[in-house]
Amino acid sequence: MLLATMRKLAMLCMAIFGFTAFALAQTTVTGTVTDKKGEPQGGVTVSVKGSKNATSTNNQGVYTLSNVAADAVLTFSGAGVTAQSISVGGRTAVNAELETSVGNLNEVVVVGYGTARRKDLTGSVASVKSKDFNQGVIASPDQLLTGKVPGLEITTNSGQPGAATTIKIRGNNSLRANNNPLYVIDGVPLDGRTARPSLNLGSAGLDFGATPESNPLLYVNPNDIAQIDVLKDASAAAIYGSRGANGIIVITTKKGTAIGTKLEFGTSFGVNIGYMKKYKILSGNEYRQALQKYNLNASFAGDASVDALNEITQKSITQNYSLALSGGSENGKFRVSFLGSSNKGFLKKTSLDKYLGNFSGQYKFLDKRLSVDFNLIAGHTSENIGLVTNNANAGGNLISYALTWNPTKAFKKDGLYNLLSNSVPNPLAVIDAYDDVANVNVFLGNISAGYKLAKRLDYKFLFAINHGTGQRNTNIGGWLDGIEGVSGSGFGAISNSTLTSQTFTHTLNYRTNLTSNLIFDAVAGYEYWKTDFSNSTLSASGFNTNLNQVTKIPVLYTSFLQNASVQRPLTKSVDPKTEIQSYFGRVNFNLSDKYYLTATFRADGSNKFGANNKYGYFPSLGARWLISNEYFLKSNAVISNIALRASWGITGNQEFPAGASLEQFSSTAFNNIGQTNVANPNLKWEKTNQVNIGLDFGFIKNRIYGSLDYYRKNTTDLLFQNTAIQPAPASIYFINLPANLINSGIEFAIGAAIVSKKSFSWDAGFNIAYNKNLLKNFSQALIQTATINGPGVSGALGQAITDNQPVNVFYLKEFKGFDSDNKQIVGNSPAFVGDPNPKFILGFSNTLKFDKLSFSMNFNGALDYKIYNNTANTVTNKGILKSGRNISLDAANSTESINSGVEASSRYLENGAYLKLRNATISYAVGDLGKFVKSFNAFISGTNIFVITKFTGFDPEVNVDKNRNSYPSRNIEYIPYPTPRAITFGFNFSL
Amino acid sequence: MKKITTIFLIIAVASGCTKLDQQLNNTLTNAQTADALGASFVLQTAYNDIGNPYSDPGNIFALEEVTADQCVVPTRLGDWDDNGKWRDLKKHSWKTDGIDIISNMFNGLNKITYDATNVLVPAFKATEKQKAEARFLRAIALYQLLDLYGQFPYREPGENLLNAPKVFAAQEGIDFIISELESILPNTDASNPKQKANPEAVKTLLMKCYINKGAFINRANPTFSDADMQKVITLGNEIMGSGKYSYSANYFDNFNPTNSGSTEAIFACPNTAGVATNNTRIDNRWWATVHYNQYQSVKGAQGGWNGFSTVADFYNSFGVNKVAKQTPEDTLLDPRIGGRFYKGCTDISGVRPGLLIGQQYNEKGVKYNDRNGNLLIFDPNIKDNLREDGADLELKGIRAVKYVPDYSDGGKNYGNQSGNWLILFRYSDVVLMVAEAKMRTAVPDNAGALAMVNALRSARGTDAMPTMTLVNPDNVSDPKTLLAERGRELYWEVVRRTDLIRFGVFQKPWYLKPASDATHLLFPIPSGALASNPNLKQNPGYN
Repeated sequence: MLLATMRKLAMLCMAIFGFTAFALAQTTVTGTVTDKKGEPQGGVTVSVKGSKNATSTNNQGVYTLSNVAADAVLTFSGAGVTAQSISVGGRTAVNAELETSVGNLNEVVVVGYGTARRKDLTGSVASVKSKDFNQGVIASPDQLLTGKVPGLEITTNSGQPGAATTIKIRGNNSLRANNNPLYVIDGVPLDGRTARPSLNLGSAGLDFGATPESNPLLYVNPNDIAQIDVLKDASAAAIYGSRGANGIIVITTKKGTAIGTKLEFGTSFGVNIGYMKKYKILSGNEYRQALQKYNLNASFAGDASVDALNEITQKSITQNYSLALSGGSENGKFRVSFLGSSNKGFLKKTSLDKYLGNFSGQYKFLDKRLSVDFNLIAGHTSENIGLVTNNANAGGNLISYALTWNPTKAFKKDGLYNLLSNSVPNPLAVIDAYDDVANVNVFLGNISAGYKLAKRLDYKFLFAINHGTGQRNTNIGGWLDGIEGVSGSGFGAISNSTLTSQTFTHTLNYRTNLTSNLIFDAVAGYEYWKTDFSNSTLSASGFNTNLNQVTKIPVLYTSFLQNASVQRPLTKSVDPKTEIQSYFGRVNFNLSDKYYLTATFRADGSNKFGANNKYGYFPSLGARWLISNEYFLKSNAVISNIALRASWGITGNQEFPAGASLEQFSSTAFNNIGQTNVANPNLKWEKTNQVNIGLDFGFIKNRIYGSLDYYRKNTTDLLFQNTAIQPAPASIYFINLPANLINSGIEFAIGAAIVSKKSFSWDAGFNIAYNKNLLKNFSQALIQTATINGPGVSGALGQAITDNQPVNVFYLKEFKGFDSDNKQIVGNSPAFVGDPNPKFILGFSNTLKFDKLSFSMNFNGALDYKIYNNTANTVTNKGILKSGRNISLDAANSTESINSGVEASSRYLENGAYLKLRNATISYAVGDLGKFVKSFNAFISGTNIFVITKFTGFDPEVNVDKNRNSYPSRNIEYIPYPTPRAITFGFNFSL
Repeated sequence: MKKITTIFLIIAVASGCTKLDQQLNNTLTNAQTADALGASFVLQTAYNDIGNPYSDPGNIFALEEVTADQCVVPTRLGDWDDNGKWRDLKKHSWKTDGIDIISNMFNGLNKITYDATNVLVPAFKATEKQKAEARFLRAIALYQLLDLYGQFPYREPGENLLNAPKVFAAQEGIDFIISELESILPNTDASNPKQKANPEAVKTLLMKCYINKGAFINRANPTFSDADMQKVITLGNEIMGSGKYSYSANYFDNFNPTNSGSTEAIFACPNTAGVATNNTRIDNRWWATVHYNQYQSVKGAQGGWNGFSTVADFYNSFGVNKVAKQTPEDTLLDPRIGGRFYKGCTDISGVRPGLLIGQQYNEKGVKYNDRNGNLLIFDPNIKDNLREDGADLELKGIRAVKYVPDYSDGGKNYGNQSGNWLILFRYSDVVLMVAEAKMRTAVPDNAGALAMVNALRSARGTDAMPTMTLVNPDNVSDPKTLLAERGRELYWEVVRRTDLIRFGVFQKPWYLKPASDATHLLFPIPSGALASNPNLKQNPGYN
């Protein structure tokens, strides 16, 4: 049924597409409105002087106006720009270059189920437009935003291209792992999971642990994004109800324009040129000296000198090709884009290849009463994933092999790998023998139809489907030495995942002038959303092939799994279907462009909630006073914009496993069925009460602009894995805990057009956010989480969740210095020793333009928090030297006794503060080349250029997932995929 | 116009009638399980629950053996620090929280009782025999909870899991377990094999209850009633008279990869060589103790993790009539000390099951080295602070290989798919309990007890003990005691802490352990559990 409908819709779309080529009106005028610097201006009203005929420009500054007489005069006006009139004079293309102020208040902001002008907003919404995005190596869209939005903390979890990010909006909002904001793409809320199968080698009996998760936005082409809006406070987010508590990230893709057909092409080539920050370990000579100094076994000293950390990296060329075709007329626009990219990882053999296509269109019929919009994304991604796991124990991972490989032992001899040195597997052999490729196909389609029911009443229907399938083949050659469960046996695993979500939305929009100066508009809607997820894994070991490096062959185990002597049964999981059914509404009042009031309400029913709590209700209220429009400020020369905002509302969170409210029996094998959970029929959403007070300002024609916000979030009914009341089938179960998780903070952003001339301009932006996180009224027993891994520390946990402390406070035995033998002294009982949640996060950007040459830099950083260096603790500590392995330079140079021992303690807490030059780009706008090539632009960009920090690990921006029983962890570093410094060169032009 | 509006409104309302009932996809509801499957499946889950908590040396084994006199896990610089838990267990210095094993086993044992109780839910329509099996499995877990924590929570079948259940303290707890076992005995299927609840297994657990009753009720000063001891003797005689059991020709045959045929096993958890599913991970018993290098005949193989060790005092206790020399000549002693060639093991890795001391050799008789190039000579001397940091740290500690490693299929079954069954109740324990009860009756029969013990020793191929007392409170390792004989016979079989408490010497000092206080006669109730159920009472001395 659904398929048939889809097919019909697709045919309809094609018919429309063909039809519009003939729909061009003779008297239509189109054009682009820019400022004096050539930046497109959205939201500018274009009207025919002396008539009611008017339109406004889109985000690309493009407008189309029909029925224009050849001798008409067009007026361009809007807040933030100086009005200007231009005679048409028989032309069909009329461009305008307007005098403008910075910090455009007329820009269109995407809010839930609609758009608004920035100056009409009562909520706290940050918008980042494509021109302000981060440049350089961008694997997924969230990286476009790092450092750009106050209060938005984006941490890339791993250097693996395509790795997941941890995103916190206004602090740590949850007591559960994997809590990211809700992503909404062109009105379609996403699931947040990915169809890339996850892999836990630990559950297959190998000592490597779990590999990091993949980014759920990989299939969104960063070049297709016009704008990203971050909805932060309750007034903005509450319309997303039970999924709004972590904030919303709204992605709007680029649309076609009505000024003829345009082809844009861009390409770039990049290379990873080295470690952003290298972990300092001993060189061959230093190692030999260290052996002598500590009088260790002379047989450890070989005669080679190798740098394993360099050897595991590659300098392969990353390539990106993108092509976009767009065009249309007033009544029909389309845009088609393609991206082909081959992103080479920093570690050998790792990569991310993406092939993405996007087709979107907006068509109008019946004298513009009916509009049909669609957007289709089809994507194929292929990740080659390295053996860099999160929670390897004594078995280690590729990074620990590289760190501890004896630097005096050659990797190869006579063309063959030296497989093992002092129980450390050869990292190069591991790269050779480890093959883990995940292929994911994603389709995201949405179609919406809008109909003008009456003059002021619009109806819109949206249907969207998001379907992803992934397959992952993992192979580890049995010819490796020293890896339990693999050596002499070989290992192969095939995993599959499927993720399907569907959205149906109906909205009604009403807008009217209640009186001459009171504008009212309202949205009411209904939404149904459902999602299904399944995952399966098949693994085997004990193969006949590839047991010896001399006779190894390139045939993968996963290509003939049946050869294995040990076949583990297929394990399959199918999540219960999650359904959410919602009713929502919003009303806006605007009195005299001075006083604004917004109220929203959403009722969410979710089948995840327990039988006793099917529906949750989420209201919000927001008000804004645009003081600068008062008579006493209206003609002030200095103050161009001053507004006060205040909002309150409740948002919800329902990120707990589907099925937690029901009793479940599951089967792990034949003849084996047992109850696996403690059902809680009272389970419901978690509530966040948020108050926000904000001030927007702009001075000197808005050349200096910014905002200041104070917020306080109080999360209650916390979804929490409580200790099950034994006897019980599980050790934990979900409850709504009557505790309070408080996040309060201040955000400040300021931007300035320091110089604004045509030959030279300098724009700068700075933002900083302070957040304080505290858990209160937590009456449960202290929960320990954050597994510390590595030889010697099993059972050690680094963080706690407990009353009157920030979430994930470090809870470790205290380090008390060294005794007279220079051995470490560690206290017996753990204590609260630091906070992993950054108190401050900041971003700083600069763009300088000298005529056609421009230079931009984006910094970001975090201050006042601690990182646990699990790598230094268990992988490169001094005692490791005794077993013939390499250690860190810091450890070797310390006066600590080599017999000091290994314990998890506050000794390995380090100051995490950092400032990173995330990217810097020099670009040259050559302009038009010859008759056909337009806007030729060439650039060179550096990514992760440097970091200033006292942290001794690879990268202070780190968050290796060390959750225990799904209690989250925060800011622990453990043999992670290192961050490379990269350089990219590219150019783009249009035809 | 109005028509169109109406149509849209109808669409909007019509699509909005989802009931939001959740459908489970790859799990079953309670009713589905009962209707489509029934009790036997739920019962099997309860059986499967038992294996791992008792097999893995990091589970109940750690609580029962590392806290006692025959087992120690020295910290070897970076290895085996594990947050200090092995030192705390050995030194009796553990606190309320901090050792994950204590809370993991509280949950693990309660899961057994939960899954077993589920069989009794009427909807599952269990037969009387199945109910008897379930109640037996539950009794095992309750007995162990009482032994470790001094109390246990108890739910009736089908009780609401969101409510805190009642809790049985020591006296009512042991009485309840005994009444359970006695009431299921008539319904226990006599044809059940050793991996299922069988009458002798029920009787063995009853014996354990009766013999430990006095200790469970008063751990610091156990007393033993004559009636209880007579029960132990009667039950033991019934088992011995059943004709089902006899001593194995080779002691280690009870623990080898084909021990499913053991003539001493009364109750056991099965494993199948080559099958990882539901494997109890019995292989961790040898992985935990064997040195990394002690398996090199298969390329790329690793022997073990070089951790769990035993001590010289225990080793020396095998020389009841001769002195242990801690050399290969000790093969003249009690065969249970090991050191002898064992086919299928010594010919593959050189490992000789039993206690490993001194130089270790490979299957060809070539000396093994440790990873630092030292000769692999296991050294009984361990630093008193349990922190080994010298060049010899890999060599410290005598090792105990009780379960004979499974080297079958070219070494593929050395890991998580070994075929050795986990032996939970063994015939010789029955014999030794009867002997002990004879010495604890109102009119002790010491001669009868000694005769039984010497018969056992004779079957093991060692000489008779001339005299025997129950225990020497001044020397826990005194070889001429019943406590020592239980150690020699049942070492590393997860009963030692219970024995030491029952023999009244758990607080005494022994090698590497100072005299300890009464607090540590029980483990603490984990704080999370305590907070979740107000009926649980924290054990004395913990907060």
